[in-house]
Amino acid sequence: MIRALTLLLMLPCPALAHPHVFVDATIEVVFDAQNRATGVRIGWTYDDLFSLMIVEDRGLDPDYDSVLTDDAKAQLAGFDMQWDPDFAGDTYVLIGNTPLPLSRPSDFTARFDGGKITSTHMRSFAEPVVISTDTLFVQVYDPSFYTSYAIIGQPALTGTTACTAQVFQPDRAAADAIYLAAIEEMAGSADVEGDFPAIGAAYAEEARVTCTAP
Amino acid sequence: MHRTLMIAGLVVAAALGLLWATGAADTVAQWALAAQRDVQNAMAGAVRALRGGQPGAFWALMAVCFGYGFFHAVGPGHGKLLIGGYGVARRVRVVPLAALALVSSLAQAAVAVVLVYAGLLVLGWTRQRLLDVGEGAMTQLGHVLVGLVGLWLVWRGVRGLLRAPAHDHHDDHDHDHDDDHVHDAHCGHAHAPTPDDIARLTGWRDAVALIAGIAIRPCSGALFLLILTWQMGIAAAGIAGTFAMGFGTASVTITVALMSVWAREGALAALPTTRIARALPVLELLAGAVITLVALQLFLLS
Repeated sequence: MIRALTLLLMLPCPALAHPHVFVDATIEVVFDAQNRATGVRIGWTYDDLFSLMIVEDRGLDPDYDSVLTDDAKAQLAGFDMQWDPDFAGDTYVLIGNTPLPLSRPSDFTARFDGGKITSTHMRSFAEPVVISTDTLFVQVYDPSFYTSYAIIGQPALTGTTACTAQVFQPDRAAADAIYLAAIEEMAGSADVEGDFPAIGAAYAEEARVTCTAP
Repeated sequence: MHRTLMIAGLVVAAALGLLWATGAADTVAQWALAAQRDVQNAMAGAVRALRGGQPGAFWALMAVCFGYGFFHAVGPGHGKLLIGGYGVARRVRVVPLAALALVSSLAQAAVAVVLVYAGLLVLGWTRQRLLDVGEGAMTQLGHVLVGLVGLWLVWRGVRGLLRAPAHDHHDDHDHDHDDDHVHDAHCGHAHAPTPDDIARLTGWRDAVALIAGIAIRPCSGALFLLILTWQMGIAAAGIAGTFAMGFGTASVTITVALMSVWAREGALAALPTTRIARALPVLELLAGAVITLVALQLFLLS
């Protein structure tokens, strides 16, 4: 009973919020000449409503016909790259179980097609990463679930032929179990809210990159 | 017959709870998420069509907005928590509770309209500033209000428990004593609960607290629509669409109001009459505790 109540009351964030922005994400992992991963290029295609809002808010489509001049398109680049210092960029990369720190975004692009804005940006690793026994995980999610991300298409692997990538959907039942375990583990802790477990990743779609030995 | 129907409410509530616990609700959540996405894209199309002067575009936008309100309300939210929790906690009649659900949804729409137009026209705020205030300060204030309603229910539940006599035979005289409660004249004769036994919505203060708790937190989708339509010179359609969203939301919260009353009366009908008065403060205490804890979590996570 207590256990059931705890689960009920400590619902993970995704269950308590609903998203207001929908983004289709693309992932490209970039490799160097030594077959080491150097970073990820992330693409975000925003939903029609958010795209329309951005375009109108910036006055880039004064005749409301959803056709942008080249000049207006040029003004779009970087529109979503003014990140607060504490914004992690909704992209998380791990090698095995180890999170990799990512650079601030660079090389922004933005385009406007069929009523949707698509932007891309590069996140570089601090140093090149050899993918051998450990899998490289690229997760795209918003911990607050304000934005709902879906990975679309096959992740691109640029500069390598020794690696393959696959997209995995979250196992929601397993994620719930992880969440419950984390909550129970903390049951004796004095500051439950302060130590709130970062379990959002368990609910995220992710790309997994594995490589064969060169 | 009446009692059977009432107990069925408890069964329905238990079945829903079981579905939720076994992950079926997750399927619903995924379905709602996909629908939210579709309706959001459709809204952009409807706004463009209206701006482009296409015939029928106004009503298409209203329909999309109603759908937006409905599909966002299908997901978890503070409005259902408050209406459902209150419906379980207090022996409120179903019609006033459903009316309260409708009024609070429309009040939420009105708050969004006032916030956006006060921000744009009076305070000269940008889109980002408006969203920050609506989704930040006002949302947090909403969580605080929801939590206070929860605590208020807990407090009344505790008081009810302390007052309840040890003897079951006298309980009926003691249920629902509150400063603002209109005591039913035939209270001592209550047997199985009939609609007549059900107390009126307990005073205007509860109603105001519930409406405020729901309405103060504007829906982000409404803010999007209002700002966008203002910028595109079709402000009136945006305001109408915001209220259409409110009706869409209300269609769900009214259902929750009906379900909560049915489940509560079902639970009470399953009890011997003499136990009902003892059960009421317990229900109130539990529902209040759930509301308070969820509000606390929402507050801390926001």
